[in-house]
Amino acid sequence: MLTAEQNDELTQVEPGTRMGEVLRRYWYPVAFTRELEEFPVKRVELLGEFFALWRSPSGRYGIVPEPCPHRKASMAYGVVEANGLRCPYHGWVFDTDGACTEQPAEKDNTNFQERVRATAGRVEELGGLVWAYVGPAPAPELPRFDTYVMEGFRDIGWADLPCNYVQIMENAVDPHHVEFLHGRYFEFVGRHEGFTAPASFGKEHVRIGFDAFEWGIIKRRVLKGATEENDDWKVGHPLVFPYNMRVGGGGIHQMQIRVPINRTTTRFMLYTVHAPDGYEHVEQPQVPDYEIPVFDDRGRHVTNYVEGQDIMAWVTQGAITDRTTEHLGRSDIGVAMLRRMFREQMDVVERGEDPLGTIREQHDRIDLPCEKDKFHAGGAQFALDFCDMGSTRFSPVLDTIKKIHISAADKIAAERAG
Amino acid sequence: MTVAPGLPGGAREDRRFRPDAEAHRRDAPRFCPRCAAALGLATEFWEAEERRFYCWCSGCGWAGEITPGEGGVRGHEPEH
Repeated sequence: MLTAEQNDELTQVEPGTRMGEVLRRYWYPVAFTRELEEFPVKRVELLGEFFALWRSPSGRYGIVPEPCPHRKASMAYGVVEANGLRCPYHGWVFDTDGACTEQPAEKDNTNFQERVRATAGRVEELGGLVWAYVGPAPAPELPRFDTYVMEGFRDIGWADLPCNYVQIMENAVDPHHVEFLHGRYFEFVGRHEGFTAPASFGKEHVRIGFDAFEWGIIKRRVLKGATEENDDWKVGHPLVFPYNMRVGGGGIHQMQIRVPINRTTTRFMLYTVHAPDGYEHVEQPQVPDYEIPVFDDRGRHVTNYVEGQDIMAWVTQGAITDRTTEHLGRSDIGVAMLRRMFREQMDVVERGEDPLGTIREQHDRIDLPCEKDKFHAGGAQFALDFCDMGSTRFSPVLDTIKKIHISAADKIAAERAG
Repeated sequence: MTVAPGLPGGAREDRRFRPDAEAHRRDAPRFCPRCAAALGLATEFWEAEERRFYCWCSGCGWAGEITPGEGGVRGHEPEH
């Protein structure tokens, strides 16, 4: 339970707000790489602001606020040219640094164009996604988390959700929900729809724990029948501050991404890499993306898959959940810890320091701790449950993914037998 | 449900529990027990009969739980 003012502060994303200023210190995925290959300019909404994102013919990316500094027409309808983005209205051109390089109707002998910059952000491509940084300079390095650079077969599921991102992040430090939302509730839905829910999701929690670390919070659990020597506790998996969660198991590696589009809209993305032991390289000229269902044709949540259940729980809390009338228990202590972390980082940014998880050193790869034997369910079985019962069932490359896991398991079994 | 004063746009107040919200506003600890600065955050949670506040001080970094005692105190009997 918080006060209304604290809830307001916690859920802000807009520029000039305390939390909005924290959020502007991070990079966000704002497009799929293939989108700008298909059409080189895109209107992007991020943190409650609109931008024009473009890719030049030579492959350079740029991002500027959507309104042209001249007369405020949309640069998202701009003309992509070799040296920048040209406003469709009067032809002013801005380069990837935000400098105005052309004002066709103005005289050449003035310094007018030097006086209007477009406050450009930074853009990079990584792992089939286009990433943008729209905060103050100098931009930190784009974190090259393991999922984006590791060998494996990829796909990206996504949905735009009508709720604030904080309630989604609170779910990432809420281990108990798994045994009910993905256990008991899943069984209930399965009984009525005629399928069997995966048994491993319903295991009872015996102990939960949370530890702050350099990238956020490591979440740990001991499930009934397991001990602190099992991966779920010994390794756990992290909430990656402020908007990601790294999960995995059974040769699957996933970053769950929750981009604050605006205060009441969140782009939920499931960036998944299939790389079981025994994986043999499969060529992927492009990382496929696919939209996962949120509502059915009657407007009811689709809850017969894992992420659909999460989405139902997040969205039905309301566009911004009313934390003044919630009733947290001891089992919600991870939620309290996360709120403290958000609040701490507001102070850090106000002091002019880098918040948690910003990185300024060049690096090749950041490995995040993540359990491999999830729910002590056995690797291959977890992977198949993941394919059949999770969002991967909607992937356009589902058949290939299943073949990858089955052939890898067969290969490992043959090696062990031989 | 209605929009409550002070709640962010998009948030809807659950009026059933308005007394709990008022009690929270009244009772949430305001000052750090270590340095007496204003607390940065006090998240309330409930455990059995108790109301607990998970607190963090933005002044000195202290974090801990505060449990108000109301009316009386209880000890425990060791097994015998």
